[in-house]
Amino acid sequence: MSARPDALIERAEVGGGHDGQAELIVTLRFASGGRTAVVLDTEAGMRLMRNCGVDDAAALAGHPWNKILEDPTCST
Amino acid sequence: MFDLIIRGGDIIDGTGRPRWRGDVGIRDGRIAAIGQVNGEARRVIDATNRIVAPGFIDPHTHFDVQLLWDGQARPALEHGITTVVPGNCSLSLAPLKAADRPRLVGMFQQIEELPPAAFTEAFVWTWESFAGYRDALAKTVAINVAPLVGHSVIRLWVMGDAAQQRAANADEIAAMQDLLRECLDAGAVGLSTSFVDVDEHLHPVPSRWAAAAELDALAAVLGEYGRMLQVVPEFYATDITIARVDQLAELSLKYDIPTTFSPLFDSRATPDNVPRVMARVDEQFARGARVWPQVQTRPIDISFSFEHPSLFFARFPTWYRVMRMPRAERLAALRDPATADKLVAETGADGGRMMLGGLTIRGGEGAPKALEGRKLGDIADERNTTPARALIDVSLEGDLNVPFLAASLGHEASDRVGPLLAHPHVHVGASDGGAHIQSFATYGDTSYLLGHFVRDTQHLSLEDAVRKITRDTAQIWGISERGTIEEGMAADVVVFDADRIDRGGERAVFDMPGGGMRYVRECIGMDAVVVNGALAYASGAYTDARVGQVCALTGVRS
Repeated sequence: MSARPDALIERAEVGGGHDGQAELIVTLRFASGGRTAVVLDTEAGMRLMRNCGVDDAAALAGHPWNKILEDPTCST
Repeated sequence: MFDLIIRGGDIIDGTGRPRWRGDVGIRDGRIAAIGQVNGEARRVIDATNRIVAPGFIDPHTHFDVQLLWDGQARPALEHGITTVVPGNCSLSLAPLKAADRPRLVGMFQQIEELPPAAFTEAFVWTWESFAGYRDALAKTVAINVAPLVGHSVIRLWVMGDAAQQRAANADEIAAMQDLLRECLDAGAVGLSTSFVDVDEHLHPVPSRWAAAAELDALAAVLGEYGRMLQVVPEFYATDITIARVDQLAELSLKYDIPTTFSPLFDSRATPDNVPRVMARVDEQFARGARVWPQVQTRPIDISFSFEHPSLFFARFPTWYRVMRMPRAERLAALRDPATADKLVAETGADGGRMMLGGLTIRGGEGAPKALEGRKLGDIADERNTTPARALIDVSLEGDLNVPFLAASLGHEASDRVGPLLAHPHVHVGASDGGAHIQSFATYGDTSYLLGHFVRDTQHLSLEDAVRKITRDTAQIWGISERGTIEEGMAADVVVFDADRIDRGGERAVFDMPGGGMRYVRECIGMDAVVVNGALAYASGAYTDARVGQVCALTGVRS
């Protein structure tokens, strides 16, 4: 795993998930300028917020996407 | 002498042709006459001002275990569902060695939110083979069943613990092929697999450990029978979903099989998801592949309580912090006036009216009965306070275990979902019937289709909507002799009021084995449901008829 962030989080929104739980819809921007969206369930969404040290999904903007891979064992 | 005549209804026969007025005569479980039917009958249903249509087929359910203690799959049957496909998402109750039952129960618990008591307290689990499961079903069902066999259990049978550790070798793949043939010979309508699910230990389910060659080999077996491959793709990412569409298309073309994937959701947050996936689906259909996206009709509701953290509050940092505190600290924070003031202030100058006022208090074990089904905004008005304060107060009064429902947080834009449901390559399904029972009601999607998207928004004609959930579904899956009202077909027939048909409000019931709770929605406007010629539901009540069948199948060739 490269230390270089593959993508930056551009924004994150709250939505409704297939399992009836709220989820986080994260828009990513790659270094190339390309964008994509990834939907995170409760466990993954909370892990991303915790790893980025934020309590507000709006504050995820600008954080590297590969933060999602840090400390995967602790869920919340 | 007929067993039953349904007289004077507007017949929508499932083919899509316009309705016409006539009678339907039923004898020996079959449709015996259509039109002006003369003669005696043991029973007559007056269908004046009613629609008479084929029974509906639900292609994506998890009724695997419920059917063993509730052969009517309540309340699906009262919504007009006369045939269900269980065994989706790589999970089925067979083939499975007795020693692996706890493992499968754990997966069902994690993925489909089915409580363990559902597997242990209401039936005697005597079978290991798929034929044994089929025979057990045949003794109990009042509804027809076309069961899938799950890839995860096939893998578990052949590989044991290694099923969740590594790819299979050539001998193991060959053994899986043989086992799949055995299941298909015993009546499995196809194979289900999953690329996303995890077990209760958050380990990928067995099907996710399969290399592409394994799925290819199993698809080859499906090709011998012309049977279905059902897949749960990585629906959280559009690009990966599109890649799975391409993979399924290659398998469909290579082995001449139908494939289907579910779910496909519309979302305002990812507005290009559906258009991009559907563009690829259309492209693959144009090549001759069959890759049917399943789209559910109902919007997505979400629920939360202060008992567990939820991303619902991910835009409100104080709420989010409080929800993630240890329970005792959480309680103390909510009781602390200064913290409560801060929480209320964070919801805006309107005290959370816009954000929280529309929340509904759900039924359930912790729900205060007097408040069940009521809007938080109304409760706040009664208490002369703000919705945010009412949310805190009601939660504390229920010791945090009060469930709240936020309705229509996804897949809710009728102007987008309606045309999607009408799309010729969209397979109406993905209800998840019988699953997620403690989170939301997975019953009534067909009633919602007919009430909302036909009657209210008129995105589909009633004839087209009925065709999609009857004949089209039967043809997509190769379910023989069902799906249309024609002489000689199995007599699965529904009689409903097109002006009233709808799903009722969600409510909590405690009818699971062991007294467990689930959410249900009853049907509004369904007069009668006939399964294989027997009246299974009429005038708001279920009958004792138990004549459901494990469906006859035909290979689905292009």
